[in-house]
Amino acid sequence: MKENIVIIGGGIAGMEAAKQLLCLGYNPIIVEQNDHLGGHVSQWHQLFPDMTPAQDLVRRLGEEISEANIFLETTVSYVNKLKDGYNVMLNNGVNIVCRALLIASGFKLFDATKKEEYGYGVYDRVITNSDLEAWFNGKQDPRIPDKPARVGFVHCVGSRDLKAGNSQCSKVCCVTAIKQAIEVKEKFPDAEIYCFYMDLRLFGKKYEDFYINAQRDFGVHFIRGRVSEVGEAIDGRLQVKAEDTLAGKPLKVTLDMLVLMSGMVCNPQATEIARMIHLDMDDDGFLRSRDNVYSIIESNRPGVFYAGACTGTKTVPETVAEARAAALGIDAYLKSL
Amino acid sequence: MIDRIPSGFHPFVLPFMIGMVFVLLYCAYGIVKIMIQLTAEDRKKFLISLVTPKTLLKNIKDIFCDCLLHVKLWKRNKMLGFMHSSIAFGWFMLIVLGHIEVILFIPERLHTFYYPIFFNYFVAENDATVAGSLLFFLMDFFLLLVLTGIALAIVKRIRSRIFGMRRTTRHSLINHIGMYALWAIFPLRLLAEGFTAHISGGSFLTIPLNWVFRQFLGNDLNMLPTWWAYSIALGVFMVVLPFSRFMHIPAEMMLIPMRNAGLKIRGARKGFARVQVYSCPNCGVCIDACPMSVSKANIKDCTVYLTRQIRRGNEKRIAEISDKCLLCGKCEALCQVGVEGPQLRVMQRSLRKYALEPDYSNIAVEPLVEAASGSKVLYFSGCMSQLTPEIGRSVESVLRKAGVDFTWMDRDGGLCCGRPMATAGRLDAARAIVEKNEKIILGSGADTLLVSCPICYKMFRESYDLPGVRVVHYSQYFSGLVKLGQLKLEKSDICYVYHDPCELGRGCGIYEEPRRLIGLSAAIAEADKTREESVCCGGSLGSLSLSFEQRRKITQGALDNLYTSHADAIATACPLCKATFARYSDRPVRDLAEIIDAQSTGYKQTER
Repeated sequence: MKENIVIIGGGIAGMEAAKQLLCLGYNPIIVEQNDHLGGHVSQWHQLFPDMTPAQDLVRRLGEEISEANIFLETTVSYVNKLKDGYNVMLNNGVNIVCRALLIASGFKLFDATKKEEYGYGVYDRVITNSDLEAWFNGKQDPRIPDKPARVGFVHCVGSRDLKAGNSQCSKVCCVTAIKQAIEVKEKFPDAEIYCFYMDLRLFGKKYEDFYINAQRDFGVHFIRGRVSEVGEAIDGRLQVKAEDTLAGKPLKVTLDMLVLMSGMVCNPQATEIARMIHLDMDDDGFLRSRDNVYSIIESNRPGVFYAGACTGTKTVPETVAEARAAALGIDAYLKSL
Repeated sequence: MIDRIPSGFHPFVLPFMIGMVFVLLYCAYGIVKIMIQLTAEDRKKFLISLVTPKTLLKNIKDIFCDCLLHVKLWKRNKMLGFMHSSIAFGWFMLIVLGHIEVILFIPERLHTFYYPIFFNYFVAENDATVAGSLLFFLMDFFLLLVLTGIALAIVKRIRSRIFGMRRTTRHSLINHIGMYALWAIFPLRLLAEGFTAHISGGSFLTIPLNWVFRQFLGNDLNMLPTWWAYSIALGVFMVVLPFSRFMHIPAEMMLIPMRNAGLKIRGARKGFARVQVYSCPNCGVCIDACPMSVSKANIKDCTVYLTRQIRRGNEKRIAEISDKCLLCGKCEALCQVGVEGPQLRVMQRSLRKYALEPDYSNIAVEPLVEAASGSKVLYFSGCMSQLTPEIGRSVESVLRKAGVDFTWMDRDGGLCCGRPMATAGRLDAARAIVEKNEKIILGSGADTLLVSCPICYKMFRESYDLPGVRVVHYSQYFSGLVKLGQLKLEKSDICYVYHDPCELGRGCGIYEEPRRLIGLSAAIAEADKTREESVCCGGSLGSLSLSFEQRRKITQGALDNLYTSHADAIATACPLCKATFARYSDRPVRDLAEIIDAQSTGYKQTER
């Protein structure tokens, strides 16, 4: 009989790990709280830097793990440590005993209403990066005007922001904003696009090219300076005040739509599980890996492994790579017992 | 009663005399110095108040109630009240009764300072002193009272929690010397009077004690040493007094008339500020009061340590303590003496020199006056409300519903009220902004200035000269609209706990209106510490140096206090409190204006 391995979270990390564990001859059991697999990626339209359709990735992974046990709309009620493993109790009454547990609970999008000065939930024309992706995917959104003349993107919403309680960089927002700016420009060729950033951290392969494209081929305006406040004019348009720190001048623009690049915070479910089996938490609110250089996928408890954004902000390729590493890590761990 | 010692003198009185003369000279010098340091205007004001019968009576009453009976302290904490009043009032009565005894029995010795203090040593009882028995009884009674107070003081030093104080001050060496001397004075007096009671007479305390002593001592050899010890304890206490916390005893007697005369702190270290510093009794009530004391690291930044460092002249620590403070005003509200900790700090900050002073002269007032003109009601939302746009929108919506004709003064950007500059101690820069705003407000022709931010509201109330303009916070204004029937509120079933913003509550004394409005639009619960004891949210503009991490702890402490009410949501009436709480709160945080907007209908709408 194949050995059970519980994977908490059915995003791309959980799916990829399940696929590898199947190959290695285990019986992965995915516990996913939503009614579908794929996590945040399944809600995304296209992935940078090659504009890969996100759905393709999720579909392909889904096909490859058809043999895995998958519990949708299920959460973990309780985990307790046994002598040589863990007992995972699900909210549907199922009890699973396993020797290895993989946490792939991912991140939660920062709640943009917490930055009230940007007006999310207050003004009619302020949306987040995830709202925009949903609209790209065909979901109706009354907040997005038919023919916007000017669209703004605010970087670092709830990232690198001590006041918001998050000091970490969310890594993907810089390049996501560029990607979304290009996509918006493609939809509305006449619109002027403004990106308000404090730094552009374009570290990944092809990111810099992407940035140059956005400026050269799409005419996106990049303004270095944080948005200080957003007001609403009588006609519903937005008045954005910012500082252009390169020009050294305060700036005021009227926009038809503002997109907030909400950052990543740790999924609260991970925090809860961490409490149950005494996993260490980091200062940034994410789970703490055994070390951040060599053992990112390992926890401080035997048999508990991590993959993806539960230990910090990650890109898709990083997450996938970690999921594979975690599968191998689990295999090596179980063989060593 | 007869004089026992013909010369009427004994060298043991010398320590007391030296101490007494030293203290009197020191205080006289201090009074002269402080009077010189006052501005001419303040000095005149103060001197006039001293001869005005009304303030004079108030001074006497306040000194009697606060310095001797400690009425305020009784109201706050009965144990502490009893402890302080028994020592202060008991001692006072011992001195008064000592004088009465001298006047009654040996009036010719009244000119000596020491006779009323050491009366029992110098006299012998005779059969004719029947009237004395009541006096002797009273003397013993008040001595017992003082001794009880001292006993409580000793217990308090060891276990302050019995007195409801979690933390007390860590005293300096000189304070300890003064304190031990004070503790020693009265037991020594009891012993001394006990040893002499068979000669000088006594009452229920001293006579039995004398009997006990005589049972196993059988001689008077102990008499003189104990009187010496008593005198030395008094002498030490008085010599140490000007350099210890006990300086608060004479200083407070100066503070009260100065405050009643309406003086304000004008300098950082001199004049009234100096009196305030010396009036701090180092009791440490401000330590538990301070919202920063949730993290142990900040305990030494409370007002009690500020006054200590100012007395020591430790500039580095003065700057640190002054910069860190949130200026929430809780220490001042709870201070029994009324030391104005926040204002003292602002004045210390004002000593700092800046390389660049801001220049506002290029801001043209005229276009702003024009934008503000047109209505009788002028609404000022302030910078903080720009960061919490929901508040301004709600105020606007409520005013529309109630059919109020108003102009939004800073809707499209306006000037700051000046308070951040004022709290940073940059008083001239603040003044420049204030003058610009005064011109705009007075030029607009409005008769009501409606303010939604308590930070601005306090500034407008205290630092602006706006003749003919009524400055109101929206909680007051909306209460008025409800009373006039222009606004109707409907109850929802959400239960709110109201957080008193520092500037609105302690700062401006508005506690009732917000509660009344919430009561009309929802259910209301109270937190553990509320009203003048409300805990600062930690977001205050007042602090110049607290880190986010330190502020987070303060916010968590304030939230924990609010959570004690088990309410569904938190209501407040300050944009800064709202933004700060919203960051960490586990339940919704809403501004009063938002609640009212959601639950109200205007007069016109109800008519339809």
